[in-house]
Amino acid sequence: MCKIQKSEYCISVSNLRKRYGKANTYAINDITFDVKYGSVFGFLGPNGAGKTTTVKILTTLLRATSGSIYIFGRQLLKNQSEIKKRVGVVSQNPSFETNLTVERALDLYGILWGLNDKQLRKEKINKILNTFDLESIKSIKNDELSIGQRRRVQVAREFIHEMDLLFLDEPTVGLDPSARRLLLDYIKSQVKSGLTVFFTTHIMEEAEYLCDQIAIMDKGKIIAFDTPSGLKQKYGKGTKTIELTFNDIPNKLLIDHLKNIVNKRQSRKDPNSTNSFIGSNGVHTITITADNVEEIISEVLQLIYKDGLQLENISIIPPSLEEVFLSVVDKNGYSNGREVGVNSS
Amino acid sequence: MVNNILLLVYRNLVAAIDKSFLIWMVAFPVVYIFIVGYAYSTLIGNREISIGSVSVTYTSFLTSGVIGFNAMNGSSAVAGGIVWNDKRNGMLQQLLVMRFSKVQYIIGNLITIILIGLVSAALIMIIGLPTMYKNANITLWSVPYIIYALASGSVFFGSFTIILSTKIKSSEAHNVISNGLFLFFTFVSSAFYPAQGLPSPLTIAFYLNPLTYIVDISRAGIFSQISAFTNIQVLILGALAATVFVIAIRSMISMKV
Repeated sequence: MCKIQKSEYCISVSNLRKRYGKANTYAINDITFDVKYGSVFGFLGPNGAGKTTTVKILTTLLRATSGSIYIFGRQLLKNQSEIKKRVGVVSQNPSFETNLTVERALDLYGILWGLNDKQLRKEKINKILNTFDLESIKSIKNDELSIGQRRRVQVAREFIHEMDLLFLDEPTVGLDPSARRLLLDYIKSQVKSGLTVFFTTHIMEEAEYLCDQIAIMDKGKIIAFDTPSGLKQKYGKGTKTIELTFNDIPNKLLIDHLKNIVNKRQSRKDPNSTNSFIGSNGVHTITITADNVEEIISEVLQLIYKDGLQLENISIIPPSLEEVFLSVVDKNGYSNGREVGVNSS
Repeated sequence: MVNNILLLVYRNLVAAIDKSFLIWMVAFPVVYIFIVGYAYSTLIGNREISIGSVSVTYTSFLTSGVIGFNAMNGSSAVAGGIVWNDKRNGMLQQLLVMRFSKVQYIIGNLITIILIGLVSAALIMIIGLPTMYKNANITLWSVPYIIYALASGSVFFGSFTIILSTKIKSSEAHNVISNGLFLFFTFVSSAFYPAQGLPSPLTIAFYLNPLTYIVDISRAGIFSQISAFTNIQVLILGALAATVFVIAIRSMISMKV
């Protein structure tokens, strides 16, 4: 990443390192990145990659071992009280006031953020309750809420105060699909209004939906950084999938022939490159995943024509971000007995 | 800085005090004063208890003891509750990523503890006034002793519970240990009975308990019986409260977020 004038970026991190105690290895090992104003910066990585440690350093909960951090063009540690007034944080861990109702807790949170005007606070609370669909639970104590409801309240309350930068550390964990979509859409609308979001997640679909730029982190290092489509181009290595659907059942011989075509043209042999299955709609489908689909597609179509099968549909699907993630992280030696932290739900 | 600390005190009060806490804080000592006090008085009869150069009825003696006891009760319940919940429920981390620092959090807790200790004590002083108005002799000279004893006592017990809350991991262990310790603090003290005339091992145990000092000093203030021994107790209580508070600060600073 290039080092441009600090004030051009909302967050600018250079050569950041973090070592816990006397550990031999760095949890964060020399990472550098910049986050543009009014964008969503996705921070992805498997469990233990160093994402939360990075967020904790950027939110002043942890001290870095070395490196520099500028937020809003100002050095973080020297100006933290000023900077923190314009930053919201939704931590990975739940946080709530046990004994208070949702509405009272929101009110208290507003007071802590310096919203002294009672009327203004009330208006903001009503807006939040409405936006995040919390009306029905506003009189319930936090202690009595489900994990998902508590998470919704935790995320929602952060929007009670004005901010320029929001850290979201896996904010959708525990949320149902509709609440998740509601949150992501709300974040998108806030970003359009100028908010900058630093977003960590395990869920690739979310990252793809929301992020303007993505950094993939593993073993404390940033191993890939680009826009979602840039990452796909760079790390998808041109791998695409041809999806063919038929009304008739393709015979096994055809599938074997297709496998031969793919393997003949591929430098790397993949026994799973060609698959056949019946979709939920009862349609027979064959998928062919290859690096050079444009080159083999005519051969594939000729073979199908010869076989006399009636092709219903053909589509070429680019690699998903999840595939890119797995490819990047695997290449970094991640598969050595460590858990893969990808959730494609 | 001051504004942040006041906000944190307000937040502590809102978050920690609910109706059940208030009822418990009032009902529990009222049972001691009016039920235990009058029930034991029938056993004791008209015999009065000496405090310095004056003699007071058992109910007066008990009420003046329960004042210190309630300061302990209130401050420890609030301090333990705040730190335990903030640690367990992620609010400490959330406050620290907001505009608040750890130092402000600690000072906010300290002020809350003292405030709750003093209010708890004042509440019992008002409720129990009918039982001791004949014997009480509070003067301008004795008021600072009472406030000092209750404030230092609140700091001691508040800090003590904070240490337990930061060090103990499971809520079961926390309950067992704090209940056990507070059973000792409550009953091996001069809150309910005089320390004089007890078998010496028990007297020693009484004077190993800070509640005895809190109760003795505040009682000396309430009945204007301040002596040289009271001043020694003032020094011991101050030293104990300061020591335990420093340990509590260290454990709060080392709390992982």
